Amino acid sequence: MIRVLVIVLLVLLAGVSALVGWDRGGLRADFRYVNTSDIHTLDPARMSWMQDFRVALNLWEGLTTSDPVTAEPRAGAAEFPPRVSEDGRTYTFTIREDARWSNGDAVTAEDFVRGWRRAIEPGSAGDYAFLITEYIAGAEEYAAWRREEVEVLSALWRARAGQGIDGHQVRALRRNRGFQQTQRDLQQADPQAFLVPLSHEATRHIRLDSLHGVQLAAHAERFDKEWSGVGVTARDPKTLEVRLRRPCPYFLDLTASPVYLPIHESIEKLRERYAETPLTAQGLVVYDPQWTKPDYHAKGYPGLTTNGVYRLADWRFKRRARMVVNEYHPLANAVKCRTIDMLVFDDMNAALVAYEAGDVDFIPGVEVSYDHEIARLGRSGRRPDFVPCPVLATFYLNFNCAGETVDGVVNPFRDARVRRAFTLATDRRSLVEEVMRRGDRVATTFVPPGGMPGYESPRGLSRDVAEARSLLAAAGFAGGAGMPPVELLHVAADQRVCQALARMWETTLGVRVHLRVQESKTFAAARAARQFMVARGNWYADYLDPGTFLDCLVTGNGNNDSGYSSPEYDRLMAAAHAAVDRAERMRWLAEAERLVVEDAPVLPLWHYVQTLAIRPGVRGLHPNPRMRFSFRDVVIAP
Amino acid sequence: MTRILLRRLVLGVATVGCIYTLTFLLVIALPGNPLQHGDRALPREVEQALRVRYDMDDNWLYFWQFLRGAARLDFGPSFTYLDWTCGQIIAEALPVSVSLGVLAMLIATAVGVAAGTLSAVRRRGKIDAAILGCTLLGVSLPTFVTGSALLALFAVRWKLAPVGGWGTPAQMVLPAITLSLPFMAYITRLTRVGMLDVLGSDFVRTAVAKGLSPFAVITRHALPAALLPVVSYLGPATAQAMTGSFVVEKVFGVPGLGQHFVNAALNRDAGLVLSTVLVFSTLLVTLNVAVDLLYAWLDPRITEAA
Repeated sequence: MIRVLVIVLLVLLAGVSALVGWDRGGLRADFRYVNTSDIHTLDPARMSWMQDFRVALNLWEGLTTSDPVTAEPRAGAAEFPPRVSEDGRTYTFTIREDARWSNGDAVTAEDFVRGWRRAIEPGSAGDYAFLITEYIAGAEEYAAWRREEVEVLSALWRARAGQGIDGHQVRALRRNRGFQQTQRDLQQADPQAFLVPLSHEATRHIRLDSLHGVQLAAHAERFDKEWSGVGVTARDPKTLEVRLRRPCPYFLDLTASPVYLPIHESIEKLRERYAETPLTAQGLVVYDPQWTKPDYHAKGYPGLTTNGVYRLADWRFKRRARMVVNEYHPLANAVKCRTIDMLVFDDMNAALVAYEAGDVDFIPGVEVSYDHEIARLGRSGRRPDFVPCPVLATFYLNFNCAGETVDGVVNPFRDARVRRAFTLATDRRSLVEEVMRRGDRVATTFVPPGGMPGYESPRGLSRDVAEARSLLAAAGFAGGAGMPPVELLHVAADQRVCQALARMWETTLGVRVHLRVQESKTFAAARAARQFMVARGNWYADYLDPGTFLDCLVTGNGNNDSGYSSPEYDRLMAAAHAAVDRAERMRWLAEAERLVVEDAPVLPLWHYVQTLAIRPGVRGLHPNPRMRFSFRDVVIAP
Repeated sequence: MTRILLRRLVLGVATVGCIYTLTFLLVIALPGNPLQHGDRALPREVEQALRVRYDMDDNWLYFWQFLRGAARLDFGPSFTYLDWTCGQIIAEALPVSVSLGVLAMLIATAVGVAAGTLSAVRRRGKIDAAILGCTLLGVSLPTFVTGSALLALFAVRWKLAPVGGWGTPAQMVLPAITLSLPFMAYITRLTRVGMLDVLGSDFVRTAVAKGLSPFAVITRHALPAALLPVVSYLGPATAQAMTGSFVVEKVFGVPGLGQHFVNAALNRDAGLVLSTVLVFSTLLVTLNVAVDLLYAWLDPRITEAA
């Protein structure tokens, strides 16, 4: 019997070694860096995480790229600078003759058109589609038209499958002129075919298959014609003309971001098609999500093809992604680090141990529970390899400016005086220096000062307890009397700072503060539903312009978590967006931010300073305000 | 035997079905949007298109579609890792978890049985006391403590092992040992108790009286009987080792399934939650059935009782 057990064990052991699938060809890369959690997606149209951007911007190259030190735009796949028209609305880019894809194909203007269109198409668009729709002429209109059509087509598709459609979808059908036309056409051909009032029951009797088919075919026919109204045109294979909706002084910074990357034509092989159309049955533009894999070859797909300094050689989920030099890139010969490994460490502590053991060369942002110690070691010079990196990002609190009540309690923060009082009662210096101790910069304004070229931040509110008390009294809550308990909504990571804030407000203003901690997804839902009085928030700059922060506070903006709404503010922001001259724009924006200081819809606490761990001997990695690291300049001392 | 097997199988399928339904209900009851990533609000239009694309507006439809897909081992897309299907994620991670779990259980069983036997034979001696002390430590120390300690000593201080990751045999050793410790301690105790029981029984006395060597008596006669409780423990323990390695995975950077089990729920990644739950519960049920069969084979009385 024992012998049988031993045999069973040996079989299991053999099974284990067969299962593991040892890494073969595991040559150590020239440069190894850490990524916490794997890449969420390598699709430039859909990505929204900074670590994904980092990989994408090394694999692809936009019309422009960001300078690794200043983050300002510099030459990319196009000649720099492009030709800009007098009114600042038309940009003409010339693609460099030597710009090449990783398979040797020349990069064309058409590749950019393809990439940008994908980035705003329903089905392939992501969080950052607005970086295109808000700026390119006609893009918003095109996207809106497509969304409406998708709604109609998916309603018809559902009805056809017998799944029933809701009132919302019926209204969408009734609204849609193309659909009405389709119905009329079909009825003419076959008067018995259709019942027009689309009730739940009625849909069952309609010959929905033909209705859906005709509608989809009609839409597919107009699909490309409608796109021609969008201000992106490939004049010839090397000339890309871009027309903007409004002058945009930072447009060349936008073109360095992932949504503006070109996409190689081979992706079209993986497009999902329904019947003869280039769309799915619901009218969406959808590609097989496997297209970002270097070793995916279904339907003759050559594998991921990119135009940056590196190409993706291997990507093993949750283990590593390996990038190697794109031999066709003009700079290929000058690049010192020929292979880069992005290693996945789900736990930053484990990453730090690996770094200390010399297994990794770079951690872009050490975030551990003892990060203040790491930052201190860096600042004191004892560990010069822990490099501080000031980031264009703000940690702040949202005051609920909109809701009359929160959970049935009257919301005192609708009153700007109360918001100002809480702001004035907050000792940010002590929060940053005594509570967090990470070396972050104290924030008194929403926009990080000094980070936006040409922008002069207004003076923010600094601590003034006497003024705070009198403002609170003026709002009817003298000494905190009559003030409902203040709910401070946050996530577990902010516990320390929120406890300090609560104590600060309780002692200075005499109010009661309830700390409400929520798991992050629940928190996001609660904040979006504005179920809070005060809630944490953080914001990272998307481009080098104060608008990336200030737009969030415009009435109706999707990221306006505090629900701030001021006609005056909206007017100032609109004026800024209409300004042709950059200096004039900055003046309007500063004026708008002065109003933010005044009305205090948000309470900025600090601008982040991250800590980078750069192994001694590694050169060419520079702290930069958007943590975009380009590995092509990295040199490793022997 | 066949009847037991059939009954267990039917019960197993029913159990997995119940677990799936419950998980599904929990997933749709949870607040939070699986499509939103990070702090930025998801634009409404993008969300709408994605909901159309993933058929997310009809829970009932999703319930059946997922189950139908799962039967063909197609678990659909992940909402967190957009470039991977849940099937691919599981295919990458499951072998890691399984091999780590099996290896840990092999170590735990080999060491545990040996130590337990030794401890029973040397009852009340110094060795017994030492082994019992160690098992107490093994049961009570959480793996993040033992794992970090092993890592700090063997990987960082003495550089005898790699600090983490997965792909080479050397990278398996520390995580497997860490994961095995609590099970090892438990098995040691079970073996010791079983052995003490058996050592006092008549057939062992007979074997000794026949003049067999003490080694032969223990390995050939006493051990098989003493191991019964260990065997019944091995099934759930192996499943636990394969599925409960989340902490060890985190400490050693092992790309196993445990992390997805936890993170998928945090990310509200419905597809990944459902597929990991399905895979884990199937694994658990299968292992339990296997142990029942093994048990029946080791001790025929069980069959009669059933």
